[in-house]
Amino acid sequence: MSDLSEMLQMLADQAERLLDDRATGEHLKSLLEAPGSFDHELWKQCAELGWPAAAVEERQGGLGLGFEALSLLNEKLGAHTVSLPLIPAAVIADALAQAGTDDPSAAALAAGEKIGCLAFGEVGESGLPRSPTLRLDNGKLRGVKALAPFAAIADIALCHAATDDGVALVLVALDQPGVTREIMGTIDNARAAATLRFDQAEAVRIDQGEGLSASVRAAALAAIATAFEQVGGTQSCLAMAVDYAKERIVFGQPIGKFQAVKHKLSDIYTDLEIARGCAIDALASVGRDSVTLPAMAAMARLAGIRAYEFASRETIQIYGGIGVTWEAAPQHHYRRSRALALELGAAPFWRELLVDDVFTLAEMGE
Amino acid sequence: MSDVETPGADETLEEYRARARRWLAQHAPAFSGSAREGLSPAEDLELGRAWQRRKAEHGYACITLPRIHGGGGGTELEKIVFAEEELRYDLPTLYFSVSLGMPVPMMLRYASPDVVERLLPPAIRGDDIWCQLFSEPAAGSDLAALRTRATPATRDGVEGWVLDGQKVWTSWAQHAAWGIIVARSDPSVAKHAGLTFFYLNMKSPGIEVRPIRKLAGETEINEVFLNDVFVPDAQRMGPVGAGFRVAIETLMIERYSVSDESLSGPTIEKFVSFAETARVNGRAALEDGEVRALIADTLVERQGLRSIHRRALEAIGAGREPGPEGAIRKLLLGRRRQQIGAVALDLMGPAGAVLTDGLTTVQDFAWSWMDSPGPRIAGGTDEILRNTIAEKVLGLPQDHRPDKGVPFNQSR
Repeated sequence: MSDLSEMLQMLADQAERLLDDRATGEHLKSLLEAPGSFDHELWKQCAELGWPAAAVEERQGGLGLGFEALSLLNEKLGAHTVSLPLIPAAVIADALAQAGTDDPSAAALAAGEKIGCLAFGEVGESGLPRSPTLRLDNGKLRGVKALAPFAAIADIALCHAATDDGVALVLVALDQPGVTREIMGTIDNARAAATLRFDQAEAVRIDQGEGLSASVRAAALAAIATAFEQVGGTQSCLAMAVDYAKERIVFGQPIGKFQAVKHKLSDIYTDLEIARGCAIDALASVGRDSVTLPAMAAMARLAGIRAYEFASRETIQIYGGIGVTWEAAPQHHYRRSRALALELGAAPFWRELLVDDVFTLAEMGE
Repeated sequence: MSDVETPGADETLEEYRARARRWLAQHAPAFSGSAREGLSPAEDLELGRAWQRRKAEHGYACITLPRIHGGGGGTELEKIVFAEEELRYDLPTLYFSVSLGMPVPMMLRYASPDVVERLLPPAIRGDDIWCQLFSEPAAGSDLAALRTRATPATRDGVEGWVLDGQKVWTSWAQHAAWGIIVARSDPSVAKHAGLTFFYLNMKSPGIEVRPIRKLAGETEINEVFLNDVFVPDAQRMGPVGAGFRVAIETLMIERYSVSDESLSGPTIEKFVSFAETARVNGRAALEDGEVRALIADTLVERQGLRSIHRRALEAIGAGREPGPEGAIRKLLLGRRRQQIGAVALDLMGPAGAVLTDGLTTVQDFAWSWMDSPGPRIAGGTDEILRNTIAEKVLGLPQDHRPDKGVPFNQSR
């Protein structure tokens, strides 16, 4: 076993312990009560353990464990329906590394001193708009980015904006007069989401003239790590539903004996394994930095969305009446699966991206 | 059983693949594609036998079986790699898929050395085809419900058994020289306990093979009637009453079988190319949302299955069992092939109903759709596969089975 895989295993075990301890039903429900909720105490703990630094390169102040580490942590987060902004830290650091920029933000994000968020979505668009309405002129941003996770509590945001010479990828500090956060009640208040309004906010352009492809890369990396979050969530739903189906007795036998229930659970398993397969292959393509990265990410995202939404809604169905109560556990996954499906652009956007790329995939033999 | 003669024992798997690819490039064209066009079924079978012989001469027939019997003396991974490469050509290998996949390896386990020496080489060369007589009209998914009787008898001083009954769905029985069969030797015990396993000569008196006409017209499957068929006790495989266990062992023997990614239907790339030219109300079909959703779903599913396949090979290479997720492959691909066929025909409109003689399910959407119910049933129905996943992988309780433990002749 290599040092890296030992490190990853340690990280996974540590995450499992901490999250098991922290993510109680009572605690998760308290986060749902108010819009824009965030568990600052847990964030402090996991920052000390180095989670935000995991995928950040060593020369940027990170641990250099790669997106494998991020994916592994996100799978654990997903399984426990815990929201922590690990993806923004890794993706913003990657964007800075790609641009060759020596920005101190990467180190601050890795240390957990600063919190990042990714805000590509815009009102009236299913996905990442190719021609954003957000404008960057003379280093100042003007416009709106739609509800983005962690925007309620983040220090910096990664956005894309239109300029006179095409799309720019920009980093913008959120604690400045030109930025307004609008926090609203949402399907999943634990995502700490907010709409971001910019009015002459100062921003730094960090692409090198290829803003759209840099934005697509950032979204693709986030989609891949999120797919692992969705796989983790799906796996938890399946475990919960299987346990319940073995215990719940009706008409003198466990409901898990009925084929209608068995086949539903078998279908959840099938979707889970397809999602896991797509996520694993997409993660492998990150290292290769291949031209197929966006399409591989799209497949991971589509499979993750499908598996998690199917699993979370059918877990409630298997629970029956108790499943629709506030107290029951499935609601956390039901909310989270939808929140994850909308953030980063919804399925129709990624489907179009994938189908447009179908012949590239065939040529590359992916 | 030694395989010390394995050539290039230090060869890596990728080198093996390259060697297999070179060999196929040299030999396969004369047996595939245009070489098969316009052949009668009998001619195609002869071409298949010749291809099997060619593979046997070069160590590519029955790759995992010992060289002393005509096998390749290779590894499980080499067998999978060769099968993947062979699938790139449209070769006449179907006639031997049952024969070499299950009966032949079972003979190697259960038959005496002199019988193995006599019967295996001609099977591996493709001269003799073996069939598998398991399913019956009243025993499909529920194999242990079979009714064919095996009654002890002595004929001409030889101790043995007399078989009476009917088998069905027997692939290639019309060409088979030999068969393996499971029959009920004791109806007074529970259904799983009263079965016994044999091999038999398909030219024995009392055997009648009748081809079944499938809805898609082909005739590789048959009904086999057994009327007072004598089998010497020396041809019994395993103990009396152990037939169900031996049958399950037979079905499990190929721990990892290779299928192409569209389950013998047209590829998704072929569908996309077709959708580029087809029109829906004047617009390119490829711009249609439903068509694009189907393409995306298929690509996602294929990628997930590729990942599962790759990890299974890694597991086999490391001496581990592949994960249970391999079980979802046929379940998904069977439904997908049927769906893609139907949508392709939708895009053709009224002309989609044309069935052109001589085209295969790989080449033609109409034939693919016509023949697509079969794969969803053969080798485990969609429903049985889901039950198996639920019970064996997820650990859910077994279905209600009223005949469990009841003597066969007392169950309804």
